[in-house]
Amino acid sequence: MALESSSYEEEEEAPAVAATTEPSVRKFVVPSKHFVASIQGRKTEIVQFSYDDYILVVVTQVGKLGTLLHARKEEGYGTAPTFNVSIIMGKRDEPLLVACARQLIEHISKDGSSRPLVLSLGLSDHSMDTLKEIIEVVTSNKIW
Amino acid sequence: MDSQQDQNAPPAAAAADEKAFKLTAFSDEAHDSTFHFQILHLTDQLYIWVGCNTVRMGHMYAALATPWDRTPSVAALLGGGANSTGASMARRLSMRTGWSIVLASSLPSNSPTIEAFAEQRLFQELKSLGYVKPISKSSNRAPPTSATKLQA
Repeated sequence: MALESSSYEEEEEAPAVAATTEPSVRKFVVPSKHFVASIQGRKTEIVQFSYDDYILVVVTQVGKLGTLLHARKEEGYGTAPTFNVSIIMGKRDEPLLVACARQLIEHISKDGSSRPLVLSLGLSDHSMDTLKEIIEVVTSNKIW
Repeated sequence: MDSQQDQNAPPAAAAADEKAFKLTAFSDEAHDSTFHFQILHLTDQLYIWVGCNTVRMGHMYAALATPWDRTPSVAALLGGGANSTGASMARRLSMRTGWSIVLASSLPSNSPTIEAFAEQRLFQELKSLGYVKPISKSSNRAPPTSATKLQA
């Protein structure tokens, strides 16, 4: 099956909130965090990648990427930035998923990064509580 | 050649806390360039990223087999185009591995040598990781269609 040997050092950081495994932070050209959290009692696997041009966040409870969203910030001249969220694959009639992406891109922007976000949400329930917890867990263990 | 692989959670961890996905990330030098690869093994899907001399995510494509065509269908999700080099690489990877693939690629679009190397190296790694489904067992691949001829 899969090769198990590893020839690099894995740093482990203590997660700030709600993750049930230590996020593994890799020493690869693309910084990444990979951990399991319990969201509303459901096992949720989260992987975050920090590329030069995008931040990719994968959140899944069903083992698949699910719905893919793209969120970006548009700088206003002398005014506050506006945010644009679009669905690039999957369910298009779930406003809470869009709201989740919107919240995350606002966090990213507030933290000083102008990179757009690609968010994958493969969830078994789309309740407000689930999405709120997801935002908390992702931002507490953020890759940006 | 640098090879880095993710280790799963400590063997004694409870099943509920164990990471189900395996992330493989490695770099390789060829053709005066440095290639970077990521393979994220989800249930029923592979997320793959390939970059050449860059850490940009680039364009994103999805390729998967459908019941009505032997050739996997491709969609350009971010940038690129359905006929671009990344799209055809996604399609070929899906065809050769039997998996539903989301591919992010920032390879230069005007260099067939670079593309060919990246695809080959990727496929080689997928094979050694055991991610290539044998054709007979894979439910992802469309069964051969039987041609029915109209009788005159």
